[in-house]
Amino acid sequence: MIVAGRKVAVVGMGGAFPTCKDLDDFDKKLFAGESMIREWPKTLQYPKQIRSTVAGYITEPEMNLEAIHPVPETEWPETYVDHLGRIPDMNLSTADLGCVWAMLGAQESIAMAGWTKEETESEQTGVVIASGGGGNVVSRHAWHAFYELGKKTRMAGSHTVDRAMSYREAANVSCLIKNKGVCESIISACATGLGNIGYAYRLIRFGLQDRAICGGVEGTALETFIGFDAMQVLSKGFAPAESSRPFDINRNGFVCSFGAGIVALEEYEMAKARGANILAVIDEYFNNSDGDGNMFYPSYDGQRRLWKGLMAGGNVKPDVVKVHGTATPVGDILELVSVAESIGESGYHITAPKSQFGHMLGAAGSVEFITALLMLKNQKVLPNKNSDTLNTELENFQKKPDWNGPTKPASEYRHLISQDIVDKEINQIVCLNYGFGGTNSAMAISRDI
Amino acid sequence: MENANERKEILDGLIEVLRTVRTIDPARLEGVTEETDFLTDMNTPSTELINIAAKVEQKFDIEFEDEDIDRMGSKVKDVIDLIIMVKERGANN
Repeated sequence: MIVAGRKVAVVGMGGAFPTCKDLDDFDKKLFAGESMIREWPKTLQYPKQIRSTVAGYITEPEMNLEAIHPVPETEWPETYVDHLGRIPDMNLSTADLGCVWAMLGAQESIAMAGWTKEETESEQTGVVIASGGGGNVVSRHAWHAFYELGKKTRMAGSHTVDRAMSYREAANVSCLIKNKGVCESIISACATGLGNIGYAYRLIRFGLQDRAICGGVEGTALETFIGFDAMQVLSKGFAPAESSRPFDINRNGFVCSFGAGIVALEEYEMAKARGANILAVIDEYFNNSDGDGNMFYPSYDGQRRLWKGLMAGGNVKPDVVKVHGTATPVGDILELVSVAESIGESGYHITAPKSQFGHMLGAAGSVEFITALLMLKNQKVLPNKNSDTLNTELENFQKKPDWNGPTKPASEYRHLISQDIVDKEINQIVCLNYGFGGTNSAMAISRDI
Repeated sequence: MENANERKEILDGLIEVLRTVRTIDPARLEGVTEETDFLTDMNTPSTELINIAAKVEQKFDIEFEDEDIDRMGSKVKDVIDLIIMVKERGANN
């Protein structure tokens, strides 16, 4: 349980972001209101098989990486070459693309944190990172070579396990930075990114670790995209920059995106004592489950209980609520009214950063956490792009006889949902993310003042 | 009697394969002889040996039996012996 007097600071961040060459570029594009969503050439190769064609994807060259294809006619990457020499070849040989991004994000986070080699390699430094999906790009070749081509298992390569196992990102980062504390993954679908940061926060708050590298990743993979496209939950029919439309009446699905968000956490007094630049202090983390037996449908009761748990300590009064806001037909407005019911209808702004870069799945929570850190730094609220028209009528779920939440339509909350960047004093931000299986997570962070 | 030229050709082909293995330091491929040991001299990670075997199969258009690989030593000459043996086995079938 919580150890009295222990607080947790965020002291570093890094990762991989669509169309951005680095974190600074991401910061600039976000606060210029730019979209990072593009038409994805890979989807266009299968025009008869795929519905959605837009994504927030990242290619290997965009990260100064090169995939080595020993069999030219396949997409299987035997390994990656880092043209900037950041990651040793030995570490690259055990990594899929998402793992490489995680390692780069970890290096950036540690550099920004200013940890010494001894601190990084300490028994008191943990690694908690995961992705939402499996190592699909690596697995596909292995299964194809064995089942379809009838090849020996060795033709799948001897790194199919380490490059595709569920906790590959944590394992690869730990082998790179050589920490001696915990190395684990918390996997909870689209709540994964925030869930790993939340777990790492607890490790420090509970006195089990002093430092942690944590976050979420989703490596570019058409295989991952295909699964969601099959569910018909992806945005379709809009120009790329207009395709992610949280809260807008014409929203018809999310934009499937990829990326990595890694942060460095440290026990507050230790960070303060060594003069670290404190990006934020984590005030609270709370997570729960819907408990209604529904795999997909968001739960108003689950989200209300989430807020209740987050606010139990009496220290949560956000200036900004960074919502999950995927732009799926049901989720956005249910989330909107649960926020309004929980913390009132004024005095804060809501922002859905997915409007600029789409839904990064297992990376969503951590990359959006980084957007919250940048909002604290810049003292600006990110825009809800494309939330052009809010429904003036009640949503279907609000018309059900057992509905016990607000009976106002989305348009009544326009003052909370700006389409433009808002300049204001921001002292506290709440981050929300949810995932399939009915998992809900919430974190409150504050400026260190 | 094995043909010395054949062994040299296989050695050259093997070095070509090894150059594509990114976890082997290219500097260690200078002066490789049949007596060079993959594990001790080239510092090859043991997990890479199976990848090298798979690449050798593609390069020389042969297929090892699982037992061949189980028995294979870690010196360059062991791999060359195996390639010749498997090639001959294929020719006799």
